[in-house]
Amino acid sequence: MTEITLAKPVARQPRQGRATPGKKAAVTLKEHVVEIISDSGEGAQRCGQALGAIAARMGNGVWTVEIIPAEIRPPARSVAGASGNRIRLGTRQVTNGGDETDLVVAFNEQVLLGRVRAGELKPGCIILLESMWRDDADPKVADSYTETYERLVASGYNVYEVPMERECRAVAVDARRGKNMFALGMLCSIYSLELQLAREQIALTFGKKAAAVVKTNVTLLDAGYAWAEGNLDFKYSIPAVQASEPQIVVNGNTALALGVLASGMEICAMYPITPATSASHYLSDVFEKVGGVVHQAEDEIAACAFAIGASYASKCTVTITSGPGYSLKQEAIGLAVMAEIPLVVVNVQRGGPSTGQPTKAEQGDLFTAMFGSHGDAPKVVLAAATIEDCFYSIITARRIAETFNMVVVVLSDANLATSQTPFPRPQFSDAWVAPPIDQSPIPPGAKPYDWDEQTGLARRFIPGQANGMHTVTGLAHDRLSHVAYDSESNEQGLRARSLKLAALARTLTAPPLFGADEGDLLIIGWGSTKGTIEEAVERARAEGAKVASMHLRFLQPLPPGIKEAMSRFRKVMTIEGNWSDRPEEELIDETNRRYSALAMLLRARYLVDVDCWSQVRGAPIKPATLCQVIRDKIATLGQPR
Amino acid sequence: MLMEAELQSQVAFHLTGRRPAAGLDAVDALALRPALLARYRDLAALRYDYPLLLVEDGERVQALSGVFDRLLQGIAQGEHAERVTRHVLRQERQLRRLLAEGATGSLSTLWDAAAERLGLHGDEVLRDSLTRARAALKLDGPLLDCNAAMPETLLTHVWRGVQKAKAARFRATVGRLIQELSDILRADFNRSDAGRSAQNLKASIGEQHAELFDFGVMSRLLTKAEPESTLPEGRRARLRELLSVLESQRFYSAVGPSGKAEVAYPFVYPSCVAALSAYGERLPQLRSVARAIAVAELEVAGEFREARHSALFDNYGADGLDPADEALFPDYLVCINARELDAAESSTLTEILSAGLPMKVLVQADDILDESTLPGAHLGFGLKSRQLAHTAIGLNDVFVLQSASSNLFQFREPLRRGLAYAGPALFSVFSGATATTGDLPAYLCAAAAMDSRAFPAFTYDPSAGPDWASRFDLQANPEVDRDWPTHRYAYEDEAHQRVGLHLDFTPIDFVACDGRYARHFARVARADWASNMQGVGEYLARGEAGALENVPCLLMVGPDDCLHKVIVDEKLLREARRCREMWHSLQELGGIRNSHAERLLARERAAAEQRAEPATPAPAAAPEAVAAAAAPAPGPQADAQASSDEAYIETPRCTSCNECTGINPKMFAYNENKQAYVADVSAGTYAQLVEAAESCQVSIIHPGKPHNPDEPDLPELMRRAAAFQS
Amino acid sequence: MSTATTECMIRLYEERHQLEDYQSGVPRWCSGCGDNAILAAVQRLCRDEQLRPEKTVFVSGIGCSSRFPHYMKTYGFHGIHGRALPIAEGVRMARPDLHVFVNTGDGDCCSIGAAHWIHALRYNMNITVFLHDNQIYGLTKMQASPTSPKGLKSNTTPHGAYLDALNPLTVTLGVQNVSFVAQTVDWIPEIVYDVVKAAFHHKGLSFVRIVQRCPEWLPTLLEPWLHDPLKVKLLHHEAGLAISPSLAKVYKNQERHDPADLDRARAVASSIDPIPVGILYRNPDVPCYEDLRGFGELRSTARIRAGLEAEFDKFTVWPQGSQGTPGHAT
Repeated sequence: MTEITLAKPVARQPRQGRATPGKKAAVTLKEHVVEIISDSGEGAQRCGQALGAIAARMGNGVWTVEIIPAEIRPPARSVAGASGNRIRLGTRQVTNGGDETDLVVAFNEQVLLGRVRAGELKPGCIILLESMWRDDADPKVADSYTETYERLVASGYNVYEVPMERECRAVAVDARRGKNMFALGMLCSIYSLELQLAREQIALTFGKKAAAVVKTNVTLLDAGYAWAEGNLDFKYSIPAVQASEPQIVVNGNTALALGVLASGMEICAMYPITPATSASHYLSDVFEKVGGVVHQAEDEIAACAFAIGASYASKCTVTITSGPGYSLKQEAIGLAVMAEIPLVVVNVQRGGPSTGQPTKAEQGDLFTAMFGSHGDAPKVVLAAATIEDCFYSIITARRIAETFNMVVVVLSDANLATSQTPFPRPQFSDAWVAPPIDQSPIPPGAKPYDWDEQTGLARRFIPGQANGMHTVTGLAHDRLSHVAYDSESNEQGLRARSLKLAALARTLTAPPLFGADEGDLLIIGWGSTKGTIEEAVERARAEGAKVASMHLRFLQPLPPGIKEAMSRFRKVMTIEGNWSDRPEEELIDETNRRYSALAMLLRARYLVDVDCWSQVRGAPIKPATLCQVIRDKIATLGQPR
Repeated sequence: MLMEAELQSQVAFHLTGRRPAAGLDAVDALALRPALLARYRDLAALRYDYPLLLVEDGERVQALSGVFDRLLQGIAQGEHAERVTRHVLRQERQLRRLLAEGATGSLSTLWDAAAERLGLHGDEVLRDSLTRARAALKLDGPLLDCNAAMPETLLTHVWRGVQKAKAARFRATVGRLIQELSDILRADFNRSDAGRSAQNLKASIGEQHAELFDFGVMSRLLTKAEPESTLPEGRRARLRELLSVLESQRFYSAVGPSGKAEVAYPFVYPSCVAALSAYGERLPQLRSVARAIAVAELEVAGEFREARHSALFDNYGADGLDPADEALFPDYLVCINARELDAAESSTLTEILSAGLPMKVLVQADDILDESTLPGAHLGFGLKSRQLAHTAIGLNDVFVLQSASSNLFQFREPLRRGLAYAGPALFSVFSGATATTGDLPAYLCAAAAMDSRAFPAFTYDPSAGPDWASRFDLQANPEVDRDWPTHRYAYEDEAHQRVGLHLDFTPIDFVACDGRYARHFARVARADWASNMQGVGEYLARGEAGALENVPCLLMVGPDDCLHKVIVDEKLLREARRCREMWHSLQELGGIRNSHAERLLARERAAAEQRAEPATPAPAAAPEAVAAAAAPAPGPQADAQASSDEAYIETPRCTSCNECTGINPKMFAYNENKQAYVADVSAGTYAQLVEAAESCQVSIIHPGKPHNPDEPDLPELMRRAAAFQS
Repeated sequence: MSTATTECMIRLYEERHQLEDYQSGVPRWCSGCGDNAILAAVQRLCRDEQLRPEKTVFVSGIGCSSRFPHYMKTYGFHGIHGRALPIAEGVRMARPDLHVFVNTGDGDCCSIGAAHWIHALRYNMNITVFLHDNQIYGLTKMQASPTSPKGLKSNTTPHGAYLDALNPLTVTLGVQNVSFVAQTVDWIPEIVYDVVKAAFHHKGLSFVRIVQRCPEWLPTLLEPWLHDPLKVKLLHHEAGLAISPSLAKVYKNQERHDPADLDRARAVASSIDPIPVGILYRNPDVPCYEDLRGFGELRSTARIRAGLEAEFDKFTVWPQGSQGTPGHAT
């Protein structure tokens, strides 16, 4: 963003730059990425969320990502201890975390260093830095501050020192804890956000607490606003399109949990695991209000078995987990497939293999999701592409699971799980809710596995239905659910369970293309990368590149129309957050390259030479990076014949 | 020493009730009260059961004094304790006064009025005490003094509480049934082709995902894959009918989402006739709702079998519903005054009670001393209303409670029980609000009636047990095992000497309060007091004999607090004796001085005395083990077999292991408990018998002797079999 | 609610189930296998209690014992190795109206499923669990199980089992919330039946260990107990089992044991010879997990809608100037 350079470099600023107070022309921006970081407990999180909410209410696009320290209680002023929020503000809807940060508010220089080293800050990025440390009683602290400060300035960052604590102390008792609202005030001024909305937001956040608390925080807010107006020589405005509909702001895991509520499922069995657990935390809090139960089982296997037992006897149930837990559930999932018991399994992917990177985003579980569990265990795999999708995917998954008596795996990931962006408040429909279980008597002669010749579908018998008595089994079985010792029945079972996928595939529609229907390059993606990919495609197209993208929600079965779409582009490439061998490696060539999961899948399924580009850095891919990938790729294509 | 003449005139009055010109005075003008009641002239100063607080939430009842005690426990602490207590108790007394003067209203409103009267203004300390108390006072509701209106108000209050609980139970049950019934229909629709239509499938997916699917195709595939199989039309119709009945019921306000908003029926009626006709009108609805509930329970459990049940349910409740069936529905409440008990009303009442209808009837008598219309006949105190209760008891399955209003607070639990009782209940209450008792408060009048046995209190609760001992309870009456309750009484004689004595409280005391009977009393001038004047209690106790030596007289006290002796005429005493007789019969019902029991006891005692030696103690129970060891042998036929030559199996020990049945399923078979027995010895060879015996792991097969002497290697087989012959 | 009249009608008109109504197929167990005795007793229980076959579910894991559900004409769930208990817990949590039984073996329960076993006892859900303990892996052809006696020669312990056997009773009685523990031996049908019955009537997780013969792999292991009644100790008590006179005559080794006495139960449980038989422990007051979790609550779409909208309100950002919107989170 070129606008940034407009702000005068701090070198030419007197300390606490009181340069041109009073009126400033607000520079109009299309978007900006802001970070508020502090030691944990200083409320940067709350400040960030408030900023996001205010901007959202003004109609700005917003994408918030939590910055969470690796440890639960990191020491104060430590590089690893950065805690806060990263907020991307935009004129239009914002679909991803965007590129490097344009502006940071830091409560101390150490947490700031953490971000700098992570390469999260844009060159010349504006830094509003708490200046109290400069005069700290402890010489070590004071020195480290000045040193860091100089280095930042030297490396071209646009550093403003802000005496936040001092200013706060002037209006409030507990200055340290009030800082975050002061910062919020500054940011409101910087981005020309309506102070009144901010005040309301505070009233909302602290609503439950005493009016006194609200008052103090509003005072701090105003103080921050006033200070910025008086002391900063820059001001921005990000024009907004007023939203007319109410929107809800939640992260992907909360959206999942809300989806469980809306789907009418009644039991969720789980075992604690990062990053999936927060979904269950939230669900545990609200599920009972509608008569649901979150059962924390003794282990992942038990959680899955419990869910299967409940599903077998009643409505479809859900079990929520992440990579390692998902691996543990495999045998049980195979049982559900074999016995054709509807089941929804949510896998909030994290870095793997093994314990991997529990808090980091990755798309490494696609194959496990599709092919996990021994033998031929066909199941449906559905990947949420956005936070909103997390909500609707569960409703869809439950429906598919109960309609086809199949296991439906819903893939999310740490990126969706911890990010927030507004989406239209869903209009609840009674039809989303799982219908009551059928307890009517089974007509005489009906068989528990009366597989339909064409689709492999069979009516499910539920305990309590008279004349339906039978024993489901993980052993190969015939139409009567009797243990099948003959290969014939075994084959029939395999056929039927597999056909159901084909049947489902028939009911799917071709995924739409983003950008254009034909051209040089077709990007295919799945899961949380949708926003980034489409933004990159858009930027590239703005530069004239003939690129389009397609995003898959169903990965098993694949929807129709993919091959046909691919044929209209000179090159097809998947973008994924999982490992693929780099072609430039000495040992890697066409014969041994390990492609990204989706690429491998498409190559195998459509016999098309699909390329891939992937990144497994734990952090979400940045649109700018992707944009470059697209340019490079197209460059390699040369002129169309 | 008294002159003969006075004595004669006294006896004469006693015998004839005619007062001579001189010596004896009429009591009419003297405003006397029986000595035992005299001490209660200022009732408001007393902390007794009344007034009552009808607590609004939960329909609980508390005595004002109780409320204040708990209040004080809370606030009377620290230095001010004593002061606060004093002030708050003054406030309580003030409230009593207000009510006694006829004020009505809720505790909160009357509180302020009372505070005003205490002169809140200008007295900061008092204000402080009362402010504290007011702040600590969490309860509120109407205050109720013991007057003519009290019994009905109290009963209605408690009744409402019971009905609330019933309503909750009903709503829970019917609410559940409505949902479970509609669930069956929803599940059915879901399996129908309509349920699998494209737009229906589309609706079940969020709009944001709708474009992922071609619902037309999905619908086609599904309907083709699984042919529609829906409920029989008959059952669907039945379910719908049940739903509409349950949702449109009017016995309680509407239940269920689509519950019709019809107003619920009223259940409080001013007369039995009205209540009964309402009941009659609603009976069809009552039946259909009760039937719907019963059928629905079967339906949701999947247990309704048309072939079996429909016939039964078609004329469900045609010949009356039993109380258990009706227990879920509201009870009718009828409050009538004995005055209004005309012929029609009484017969209806009896009809209701004897038919066991779910009705709770309060019959309140304000006057139980009403004079008989036949001149010179018995006075028949309280007979009418007492008779009512007795008949009701005779009906056996009616809950009956009789009590004077003064005792109703003590009876609050029985009241609740009666109202909760599944069946009819009769509450016969004497209010004490008799017009002819002068300034005597209703509370005292009622208490007098009860204590004097003129109107004893009792309950008869059919649900309490199978026998009188558990059903009938007389304990509420004072000194229940004696003829009359006795009270210590003390006064100062002219020599200022304290005189203490015991006085029985008899119906005479009660009657003495009623102006209408003044002519039966005559005051004896102090000068004429004589030793032959005998307390009514003593006099009655002594029986008829020797009436002439003594005259029964009653101690009474005038407004001046001076003691008077009043002679009572024989006619009243006769009534007193009749009261005593009736009391005795009650006592017998209550198991006190039960004549049968006493005779039995006497006989036993006699018998015991004849037996010189003391009774032997009961034998101690033998220890289990011994008992077990001493247990009889397995059973004759088993032994018989053991001794016989027939093959047999110790069936009870068979572990159903299929060994023998595997060897020869004709020879060995399983009984109804899947344990083996020898079904047909001739169905196989002796060899098989022996083989089975050998392979039986619990060795319970005994081959006996071979049937077919020609079977090969018999000797060998019999040698092997020997191991199992026992 | 069921009124007096209704009850009469149902009683008058309910269908009576015979033993055959609970029998399905011919058991594929070896003849002489103790599983047959258990099957017979359980089918008898179903008949005597008139359990509705469609309302009864038998859940099992993997192993000889776990074939059990296939031989019952009720609903059955023949699951995977070691997971019978969590599956059954799911069934129980979802369905208040079903009778839930579990059949599991010494390998299934005490080895691969041990974690679930411990926690099932803690949850104390209303399930009747039968541990068919034949002290050997049968279906996989004779490997030592955790309950195999030390020194037992098997395909995996050719020189004899190295460790002392795990005692399922003492383990069970050591777990918090345990509420019913009983033991029987398959060769005293009367006791098997009485114990099974008592277990069924206990509300909570009733754990029944059945010491069971394996004629195929361990034909002689239990011989001594089988033929010497004194090696079986009958536990009896007013609050436990009553022993019939005929039985008392045969089995003279008896102890009066109060099932409420946990300490004594632990002592009794630790005896292997003689084998204690009867109800060791029963505590009807332990709460059931499902009841603590609002089991069998009425769930209506209306309730879900209300709950969901309330949650949405918490997260809703209202367009400017619509603060007053109903349900606005404040």
